[in-house]
Order: sequence, then C-alpha cells, then structure tokens
Amino acid sequence: MRLKNMDRRELLKLGAAGMLLPALSGIARAQDFSGTIRIWTFLSPEGQSPREVVLRELIDKFTAANPGVTITVESQPFQELETKFVAASAQNRAPDIIWMRDTFLNLVNERGALANLDEHLSEAFRTEALPDLYQVFADKSVIGGTRTSLPLWPSPAQILFYRKDALAEVGLEAPPLTWDEFILVAAKLTSGDRLGFGLPTNDNSVSAFINMMTGFGPGIFDAATGHFDVTGPEAKETAEVVRQLVKAGALSPTLLNAMGDDIQDQFAAGRFAIVQAFAPRFEQYKKIAAAYDPEQLAVSPWPAFGDRPPAVLLGPYWTVGLSAKSENQEAATAFIESLYTPEASMQWAQVAGLVPDRRSVQSDPYFDTPEAATINVFDSLLAAPGALTFPPNLPDITKVFPVMNTALQELIGTDEEIDSILSRAKATLGW
Amino acid sequence: MSDTAIETSVDSSRALNSVARKTKLVGSALVGPALLLVVAINVLPAFYGFYLSLRKLFFFGDEGFVGLDNYIALFSDPFAWQAIWRSLVFTFGSLAIAVPLALLSAMGIRRLGRWGTVLLTVLLVPWAMSPIVVALLWKWILVPSPGGLVGSLFTAFGVPPQDLLTDPVLAMPTLIIIGVWRNFAFAAIILTGGLGQIPRDLYKAAAVDGLGPVETFRKITLPLLAPSLLIVISMLTISYFNEVQTIIGLTGGGPIRRTTTLSYLLYHTGFIELDQGRGNAIAVVMFMINMLLIALYIRILGKQPGGAA
Repeated sequence: MRLKNMDRRELLKLGAAGMLLPALSGIARAQDFSGTIRIWTFLSPEGQSPREVVLRELIDKFTAANPGVTITVESQPFQELETKFVAASAQNRAPDIIWMRDTFLNLVNERGALANLDEHLSEAFRTEALPDLYQVFADKSVIGGTRTSLPLWPSPAQILFYRKDALAEVGLEAPPLTWDEFILVAAKLTSGDRLGFGLPTNDNSVSAFINMMTGFGPGIFDAATGHFDVTGPEAKETAEVVRQLVKAGALSPTLLNAMGDDIQDQFAAGRFAIVQAFAPRFEQYKKIAAAYDPEQLAVSPWPAFGDRPPAVLLGPYWTVGLSAKSENQEAATAFIESLYTPEASMQWAQVAGLVPDRRSVQSDPYFDTPEAATINVFDSLLAAPGALTFPPNLPDITKVFPVMNTALQELIGTDEEIDSILSRAKATLGW
Repeated sequence: MSDTAIETSVDSSRALNSVARKTKLVGSALVGPALLLVVAINVLPAFYGFYLSLRKLFFFGDEGFVGLDNYIALFSDPFAWQAIWRSLVFTFGSLAIAVPLALLSAMGIRRLGRWGTVLLTVLLVPWAMSPIVVALLWKWILVPSPGGLVGSLFTAFGVPPQDLLTDPVLAMPTLIIIGVWRNFAFAAIILTGGLGQIPRDLYKAAAVDGLGPVETFRKITLPLLAPSLLIVISMLTISYFNEVQTIIGLTGGGPIRRTTTLSYLLYHTGFIELDQGRGNAIAVVMFMINMLLIALYIRILGKQPGGAA
C-alpha cells in the first residue's frame, strides 16, 4: 500500500515534470534570444493612443521575458512605411519588422524585401495560432505560396462612424443601409454648422468613391486583372449618389481637401453626424470627442445599391512582416508571434477596442460585456455577406486612390458631366 | 640699365611669380574641400538625378533605360503644364507681395531704430518655423468649424465661415498669403542690410538738389539696392518655386489639383505614385526653370547702376 502510494506520488511528480518540460524548453528558447530588434511602425512607444499603450506593454513584456533583447521602435509616417522599407532593404539597413498596408504587400514582396514567415514561425504558432486567425486576412498574406506577413487587428477598415444622438433627432437608431434612403436621412442631419455626411476627399491611402462603389458587392473587381470599371454603370451610379448627396445638402460642396485626420478632428468638434473613418480608430474617436458624449459614437456598414447587402470593405488594413535581410530573424519572429498570443489579443481588445486577432478568445466573458459591444459589431461586420477585400493584384495601387479622390472632388465641387470626370480618371490611370 | 639691375628685376619678377603661385596653391587648397563637398553633395546627385530621369524606375525597381520617355510623357500630360503654370502663379504672386512688403518693412525698421530690430526679430519667427508646423498652425487657424480663428472672425462679422483651403478659387491666394507671411521678414533682413550700405551723403545731396521722396527712392535707393534685391528675389524665387511642405500640409495639391504646383507634382509622382523615373524628370525640369529665372534676374538687375552681378 505504502509502496503503491509512493509510486503514485512519484508518478504525479513525473507527470508534473513532464508537463513542465515544454514550458521549460520554451523559457530556454526565449532566453536564447538576444540582440536588437528594430521595428518600423506608425505607432510611437511613447504615444498615448490606446494602440500605442498596448504596443508599449507588449514590448515591455517581451523584453522582460527576453532580457538579452532590446527593441527599438522607429516611428515613421504611415504613408511612407512601405516605400522607406523597400528603399532601406535595398541598402541593407531595413528594420527587422515592418508594419505595412495589405494593399502594398504584392509590391513589397516583388522587391524581395519580405521573408517567408512559414520558414520562421514556430511549430506551436503554425498549429495553434495560424488557424485561429481570421482566414480572410491570413490567406491574403500568402502570395505565391509565401507567407509574406501576418495581418494585425482584423477590422472592417474604412467604415461609417455616426452619432446616435444625431440620428435620434430624425427618429433613427442607425443610418439607413441603402443609398436611396441614406441620402434623405443625411440631408436631414445637416443642421446649423453640422453636416450630415463627411468623407475624406484627399487622402492618398483611401478612396471614399471606391468604398461607396462596394455597395455593388465584390463583383466590381475583375477577378483576373483586379481592375474595376471606372466608367462602368456602377461607377456612374456611385457618382450620381455623390451628386445627390451634395444637392441634398448632406455633403458640403467645399469639403474638397479633407484628409482622414481632418475628418476625425472635425467630427470630434461636432461638424458631422456621419463620417467615413478607419475602424481601428474607434476608441481614439471616443477619446477625443468634444462636441458630443463619446457613448453616442457607433459604427455602421456602408449603404448598398438596390437590395444588395450592406457593404464592408476589409482593407486597407495593417499587416506585420519580417525583413528578408534581418540579421535577427528568430528573435524578430518571436516578437511578431508575441503580438498574436491570446493575452495580446485580449489587450488589443480591452485597451484599444480592437477585434482580437485570435478568434478563440472571443469566448472570454469580456465579450459579453457592454464594453465589448463595438468589437462584437466589428466582428459581425467581418462575417457580413457584403464583406469583401481588395483584390491582391489591384493594379496601380499607388495611383488609384489619388486619382479617384480627384474625381470625387470634381464630382463634389463642380458641375462637370459625370461621364467626362470618370473618363478623365480612367485616362489618368491608363486603364 | 646695368646687367645687375636687369638680373635683380628678373629675380624679383620670378619671386613675385613664385609667391603668386604659392598663394594660388594655398587658395586652391583652402577652397578645395568646400568645392569637393559641393561636388559630392550637389553636382554628383544632380547628374545622378538626370541619369535616373532617363530610366523607368517604379517603387525602387529599375526597369531599364527609356531615353527621353519620361520627359515626353511629362510634356504630353496637360496636368504637368497646369502644374508649371500654377508654380509660376504661386511664385510670382508671392514675390509680388513679399518683395514690396519686405522693402517697406526694411525702410520702416531703419527708421524705428532699436525697436525696429525687435519688431524684425518677432516677424522672423514664421521663417524660423518648420514648414510643416506652419502648415498645421494655419490649418487650425483656417478651420471653418468652431475653434478656427478665421472662422470665428468671419462669424463675428456676420459672415458664414469660409473653407479657404478647400475652395477651388480661394485655395491658391490663401497659400500665397501664407507663403508671404512666412518669408517676407527674411527678405526684409537682407534689404535692411542693403539699405545700410547706401551712403547717407547721397540722401543729403539729393535733399540739397531738391529731390522728393519718390524721386530719391527711384534714383538712389532702388538702383543702389539692386544687388540686395537681386539676392532677395533670387532666393525667394527658388524658395517659392520649390515650396512643397506647406502645400502638402495645407492642401495636398487640391482642391481639384488647384494647388498642384510643379514641386507638389514632383512629390506626388515620386513619393506617392512612386514613379521615380518621371519624378526625376520633373526635378530636372524644375532645375532648368530655376536656372532660367535666376539668369533672367541677373540680366535685368545686373544692368542697374548698383548691380554688380
């Protein structure tokens, strides 16, 4: 009996030791990392925005677990990240990790600046984390069999933010989801100094016109070429909607130079009731709200044309890559992996209000609380029938947004024929 | 003349030549490093830029030699011609206000004495500021919604706030005014120095001769200020013609391309569209226009009595 007890205890000890082994090996692996990891992102580790706070915490956690590693964040203007990275890569001075927009993945990969992450990610990450990510985003990072990056912060990207208090004034809880009805409501929302609808019209990294066009569904993009028909019936109907919004007083005819940041600042100051905004900035919008109660901020998909489902364009979004020329690829990969742990996903969600990268953490009780209501809305939008991504081969990615923005400005600010505006845009693109 | 005298004369001539050679060598040695620096920093990159303008470069990928294709594409593009025109409007519009304003300020500052220097220092602050900071500052001043300074002024006078930066007609004049605000004090400093170089006796003589203020200005001040004016106009021309940061920050070339100058087109083509071959072609064209304008100034102002250029 005694021997039996002893054996059981020994067995338990053995079992416990066996369970500890992988963890110990993990620690041993973590302790092997050393050197400096340079990161280029638009976030600043000294910044106070919710995403910057989380990044800082994740860096602190990683360096605490890996005392031999120093992480240097070199903030860059977000529109220049991809360009500078490719230039730096050509000169062998690229950072180890790069934050970039998915729309540039193809171009950056063509220049040979990104490592194949499949060759570096740990077995545990590949078997546990990768299948747990949103596949629509994760799959887009795989180009010609190469995993060029890992998508971060799955979100509906450019979406509509609105003030519930403003909508309540016209007896609604949310904006209508068809353009016909939306025009009428947005016009009613224009009151005093406040405009019903605000769009970024001069932001080189987004195109409000293309977002509006997605109300026709994913069919607007040619699967083979990635083009959309700039002078086609869908584009013309979109242009008509823009003109009607201006005519109804919902869209200001003088709002021709607005960047995303301008729209954000002016929305905070109470100038708009509904705006196009970048979904991951939701918490920031709440934080800077000056002219209304932050709790009145809500999100909506884009209205659709006819009886199509409301549109949700999943991009451009942020994605994280590893430099092909990094001299510290293993440590850098380990840091990248640390951005996608379930704990990190919870931090991104709880502090920055972002949809967690790891879908499995959504079973956490936090997501049943009112604080997570917006995340749940974002999550439902990701799975919405009108959700679509930019085609991976969208041509002239550096030209298409500015050209369509100029066309949008001309639609808003002039009386020129729609056909000639769209034809000029098409000619400028050379499509 | 004795042989000794001739020998002495030849010797001293040789000695003088030797000193001259040594002086020349020392001079060259002293100028050499600076010259090398200029060649390394300015001349070589300029030639390299020209070389790149003859290649098809996109997103740092070199697709080979294309001859003058980038130039042909540029000059076949109506938007490029519009950009050249807008650059000239911005440059000469700003010069037309900034130079007279700087001249008036310089004359006023000289009359004010020490207080004039204090005033000039204050006026110089915008010039010392980063162009992007200037852009952000003015963006907030001009924002048409609550909180904008100019918008509040309009409202105080019963006029609805105007979107000065987004109005296709008003955007360029607004940029010009901001450009003048930023640079005229710098021009005033140079002109103040230039005015100080004019001998006071000339003004006294003019007064004795019975010349009025306008005649004095036209016959004494302006001609003798020509070298300083040449410097001011040349520097401001280069500065305005190449101005891009405030345009990026304030209007982004819009609305509807109305503030897309050649320098902004260069930025947009090279850094947004990432067509670096054509971007370099635009840079070469800008260099040529800059040189042309400066040569023109030297020709015009160099003929003035005081213009030594």
